[in-house]
Amino acid sequence: MVAGQKLSTALGLQPGLAVGEHDPVLERKALESLACWAGRFTPTVSLAPPAGLLLEIGGCLRLFGGAAAIVDAVNAGCAEQSYSVAWAAAPTPLGARWLAQAGARALHPTQAAMQAALAGLACSVPDWPPEAVARLAACGLQRLGDLAQVPAAGLRRRIGNGPVDDLLRARGELADPQRPFVFPERFARDLELPARVEHAEALAFAGQRLFAALAGWLQVRQQLVRTCSLHLTHDDGSASVLPLRLAEASADEARLLRLLREHLGRLQLAAPVAALRLVADDICARAGASIALFAQPSAGEGVAACLERLRARLGEDSVRTLAWQPDHRPECATRLAEPAADSAAFSPSTATDAGSRPLWLLDTPQPLAERVDGPHWHGPLQLLTRGERLESGWWDGGEAGAAGDVRRDYFVARNPQGQWAWIFRDAQGWFLHGLFA
Amino acid sequence: MSSAPLPVALVEVLARGDVWCGDTLASLAEASIPSGHAELDAELPGGGWPRGNLTEILVDRSGLGEMSLLLPALVNLSAAGGWLALVAPPWLPHAPAWAAAGVLLERLVVVDAGRQVAWCVEQLLASGGFAGVLAWPAADLDARVLRRLQVAAESRPVFACLWRSTAAAHSPSPAPLRIALAAGGGDLSVGILKRRGRPVARPLFLSIPRPGRTNRVVAGPAFSPAATRSTALAALA
Repeated sequence: MVAGQKLSTALGLQPGLAVGEHDPVLERKALESLACWAGRFTPTVSLAPPAGLLLEIGGCLRLFGGAAAIVDAVNAGCAEQSYSVAWAAAPTPLGARWLAQAGARALHPTQAAMQAALAGLACSVPDWPPEAVARLAACGLQRLGDLAQVPAAGLRRRIGNGPVDDLLRARGELADPQRPFVFPERFARDLELPARVEHAEALAFAGQRLFAALAGWLQVRQQLVRTCSLHLTHDDGSASVLPLRLAEASADEARLLRLLREHLGRLQLAAPVAALRLVADDICARAGASIALFAQPSAGEGVAACLERLRARLGEDSVRTLAWQPDHRPECATRLAEPAADSAAFSPSTATDAGSRPLWLLDTPQPLAERVDGPHWHGPLQLLTRGERLESGWWDGGEAGAAGDVRRDYFVARNPQGQWAWIFRDAQGWFLHGLFA
Repeated sequence: MSSAPLPVALVEVLARGDVWCGDTLASLAEASIPSGHAELDAELPGGGWPRGNLTEILVDRSGLGEMSLLLPALVNLSAAGGWLALVAPPWLPHAPAWAAAGVLLERLVVVDAGRQVAWCVEQLLASGGFAGVLAWPAADLDARVLRRLQVAAESRPVFACLWRSTAAAHSPSPAPLRIALAAGGGDLSVGILKRRGRPVARPLFLSIPRPGRTNRVVAGPAFSPAATRSTALAALA
């Protein structure tokens, strides 16, 4: 198949062909997303529409360990996002573009090597006007190398100034400044899905491009994301939002994707999804960090990442830390709090009367049977302490879920099985409230 | 043939941490956590609760002092800044008691795992950030899951403890240390079912700190319900 064929011809040649309409706006958006992603390699990225991206890697060769390493990483990243890529590395932007378009897939570290490679390219440069290309062919000039042999003034007269200047820029004989891509102030990127997605898990694969772009954008802006949200546009026009909250700010793409998968595993789609939009809601500056001098053994992902994954799968309320609340009523003394992995300063836990409170507390006091010899719980309970009166609580009486006004006498008791219990007696009778485990 | 030298000296083999003689206790690669009970430390390989290994505690009834047995070790871990996790505890931890014991509440995570206890424990162990993980799994825990948990705990400095019922004592388990707890008079009877070393013949009886004054019974079994009810009502009136 070649460009310019009729659709029917193309379908005849390739019956299973997926056909889409050419949309320059979407192409531009995809290119910008890719530019964001490329921010992880270099801060100097330029767009070369319709389908080119220029990365200035001269300044970061040392960081990555050579041009070959960067090229490998770029290729691997493109493959992960399922983009097929034609690349070339050369000292001038235009030279690299022409070589890439010609399918060079090679490094040209020096200007001489690049000029030699350029000399072998055909004169049919896509950016040049067709009449100029036709005139060169009529003159018998097949290769770009042939143009260097003919007098420049005559060439300018015949094919115009533009192509000759291009040639000089490509060869590095004329300055060729590029307009750098401006990484946006706020991150919000769309992704039109090629097909309707009905299963939530499949969105993880589609969302990978968005998260790759987010990670590159965070890298180049030296920022971390704490909260981002994935906006789903359904094919019936409705929209839904999937918020992703990290326990600690991070710029790690793999971690974001793991979190996304956990969330998607629990998500029920109301309707098939047509488009995705990723918005970084809460961004903070990245603090500098030292890299270890020697290779450290892998210590696992750490507390924050683990808690965040558990919360994603089990729900926000299922993973909590304990907190102590100054209230004399036992059911009010414990509060479940948000785990804060990065809390450096600990509030000193005020130790009260040690040992007289049970380690386990029942959610609701369990009524105990009362017989002639006192309360029973797996046998008669022997009371071991004097009663401890805990009373009052009028301030939240009648509120939903509050303990309210209480008047109880608490005892430590033991049953014949050797179980130590914390029981109380009030107007309703005996209750089991805690276990001295 | 018989005079061929051994490729490795026997002494060198015996010096390895994962090889132990039948009549001595194994030494552990990771430093163990002192249990706070000298009699128990003497019987545990490494002289304390193991890190990087699964420990099973089999107990049927709660309130025997089983948590107090572990508390000195947990306080130790917490004081060193370690994170503790309780996965699917049978009851709610009572914050004042844990704080009074010396556990940092900010670093005590309570996970309501539902049916995914094993998955949670595996994640917590593999994360490498937790110093202690205590889990109360459902009764139908198969050996394959236990094996996974043991692998997740290996080579991580974490005290991993699973609470199971004594019915599991006869089913095989990859946990290197299994302990059965029961009430024994006023003390806690600690039977070591399995350890790396010679088997233990009889259970240990450890005295666990208990609340209140244990020597004096305030109100004995001869406790008149009718009389107390009337006095209680009178007090309320």
